[in-house]
Amino acid sequence: MTLLEIFDPKAAPRAIGIDLGTTNSLVAYVKNERPIAIQDCNQHALLPSAVHYGDRGDVLVGADALLRAAEHPRDTIVSVKRFMGRGADDPETRRMGPYAFVSPKAGEANVVRFDVRERVVTPVEVSAEILRALKRLAEDELRSVGGVVITVPAYFDDAQRQATKDAGRLAGLDVLRLLNEPTAAALAYGLEKKQNGTFAVFDLGGGTFDITILVLDDGVFQVKSTGGDSALGGDDMDRALAEELFMLAQRDAKAASPTEVRVVLDVARQVKHNLTDALEVEVENPLGKEPASFVITRARFDELVAPLLARAGTACKRALRDAETKPVELDGVILVGGSTRVPAVREYVAKLFGKAPLGDIDPDEVVALGAAVQANILAGQSTGDEVLLLDVIPLSLGIEVGGGVVDRVLPRNTITPAAARASYTTQEDKQTGFEIHVVQGERELAADCRSLARFTLKGIPPMAAGMARLEVTFRVDADGLLAVHAREERTGIEQTVEVKPSYGLDDETVEQMLIDAIDHGEADLLARRLAEAKTEAHRIGTSTQKSIDEGGDLLEPGERARIEAALSALSEATSGTDPRKVQLRIDDLDAATKDFAGRRMNRAIAQAIQGQRLDSVERTVEHAKGIELAHGAPLPPPPASR
Amino acid sequence: MLGVERRFDLDLAVLEKTHRELSRALHPDRYTQAGASERRAALDKAASVNEAWRTVRDPIKRAEALFRAHGIAVGENHEPKATPAFLMEVLEEREALAEARAAKDLVKVRAIGAAMEARKVAIEKKLTQGFETATDQANITKLTPLLGELRFYRRFLDEVNAIEEENE
Repeated sequence: MTLLEIFDPKAAPRAIGIDLGTTNSLVAYVKNERPIAIQDCNQHALLPSAVHYGDRGDVLVGADALLRAAEHPRDTIVSVKRFMGRGADDPETRRMGPYAFVSPKAGEANVVRFDVRERVVTPVEVSAEILRALKRLAEDELRSVGGVVITVPAYFDDAQRQATKDAGRLAGLDVLRLLNEPTAAALAYGLEKKQNGTFAVFDLGGGTFDITILVLDDGVFQVKSTGGDSALGGDDMDRALAEELFMLAQRDAKAASPTEVRVVLDVARQVKHNLTDALEVEVENPLGKEPASFVITRARFDELVAPLLARAGTACKRALRDAETKPVELDGVILVGGSTRVPAVREYVAKLFGKAPLGDIDPDEVVALGAAVQANILAGQSTGDEVLLLDVIPLSLGIEVGGGVVDRVLPRNTITPAAARASYTTQEDKQTGFEIHVVQGERELAADCRSLARFTLKGIPPMAAGMARLEVTFRVDADGLLAVHAREERTGIEQTVEVKPSYGLDDETVEQMLIDAIDHGEADLLARRLAEAKTEAHRIGTSTQKSIDEGGDLLEPGERARIEAALSALSEATSGTDPRKVQLRIDDLDAATKDFAGRRMNRAIAQAIQGQRLDSVERTVEHAKGIELAHGAPLPPPPASR
Repeated sequence: MLGVERRFDLDLAVLEKTHRELSRALHPDRYTQAGASERRAALDKAASVNEAWRTVRDPIKRAEALFRAHGIAVGENHEPKATPAFLMEVLEEREALAEARAAKDLVKVRAIGAAMEARKVAIEKKLTQGFETATDQANITKLTPLLGELRFYRRFLDEVNAIEEENE
């Protein structure tokens, strides 16, 4: 770092990438066209994902928090990622960790709430503390932090993604994009520069396993399929080894005290780490004097983890099948996650895919590095050839129809952004409303899938059953977030729902948290809003000007004058102090450029398929729009109580 | 249709390329610095292009689209009922699969799957020829029973996959 950089008070904001992990988190940025992880003053890049709430209202994050976990288990939240987007009534929730939970009060969102030191915090707030710590770390290094890309597991559902985005907002970050972890790993390897081909990303973390098959073609990354096991990871290896240690010590693991279990698990983890380089390890008996010690060989450890690897193998085979790919067709396998350091894992992967995996980037850092690359691209700071990611939705999205059966509207592994329509009708005579239940998952029955949202469409005139015609549109944006629109065709009654997840926080709650989080409350928030609005106005102004310059020939008579008037009105508003006024002028400019933007897109299409007949492609697009309309299943009326 | 003609045997490799090129031009990531109207327009078009690609790459959806393009309603309620002969055959195949599954005879399961795969390919060929030769609506309507068969083979092969998976 040069002196100039250090003392430059107006350092340009730099985009950063964050891997918000279950066990550890870290932040990275692109320096001289290479992504690097940012280290703290102790040269550690990994920040343990632990948050401790102190008795004087103080909050500790990272290693300091972890040190207090043993003494204050209830006030120190570890692995908060497992709680993201989960309902307070989720049976899984209460089994995970020694925490005190608070049930939501009437009218409150159905999300997990921890009771820590007489305060109540949600997983979103806990995650925001981790993100804030990473932001501070980045600010120390870069002075000014711009947009951020946060990674999420590919299998994260809508509620979990929304919760992650909310945590970013709460931490005061400008979240450019949520990026799937495997895709980030592929980006970190800079595969786009090397070659075209098909790659597998094998991600074995502390508690989860993820497999993704993706194709790279001239700078376009396309995720073909994704799968995994959300309860398989390095912790399971530790447990298998701990059981072995109990057996060697001739002790019954089930009769051991929690402290003994903790001690043996710690020893097991140490043995696992040592066996990465050594072929055998001698351990002192942690449970007694007889025998005094025992030897664990790598061969024995390999046997112990074999059943775990077989489970990973099943998920890999399914992902390959979904991608219609055979192992021999793979051009490379990327390893992600600390558990892939285990030699048995590397050998298993090599055997399963028939080739030695790529592992030369630190598997703990690779995801954050890839996020930094993507942040750099999205912030327009990249100088090289642009890379594009085509991601897929990890789980099928559908609607509950009569009999509790799921009608799949968007199947899993559909490329995003995605849109699909489905039509439904009334189940009963004189039904005047629809109950629309949006679910996510692969099971046949809605009760076995995850509930994303429920809403009702009312005010339809009574008709005979099967006469009404309800069209439901699903839209998934590039972050994998869903919006649902419903419209009754005969009456034109319609409703749009940003899927406010059944297990999420609504916008007002996040807003209030944001106010609470800032020391001086609303005044500060207003100042921040104004700054944000001005930045946005500047960005949009510049890009609109560029569009007019590039596509001036597409403007209709009078259109240029209207857009330019809107531009100068916006520029005037930015010299004021009212963020709402700026927003209004942005909206005006938006309206003035709407038709022009549509024409620009059509030209982009034409240019993209030069040499091919545009009219026929458009026909296909039109065509495809009619495709999903044939379901016609009946939907039940809303419950009478509503 | 897509990019070229209304036929069933499309060159998916070429179309995949087209899809990537269109994505490159329209993906929302290309418009992060643009105004809201342009971002929305790009999102809409990108979603439509993805939808079109989803349709043409799936043989069943592709066939459905072709029928609709000729003004023929499809979907389980509009198509003719399967013939008793076909239903009989189907029943036998299902029984054979159930037996092989109960006996955990993976070799047999795979053999049944391979035979079914071959029949699926044959139906796809018939559809290709059908759409090539039939020009008027009446003749194309005669092809609709093939669609039902195709759907059946798809479900059957899904089951074969599931059985292979549980025995691996």
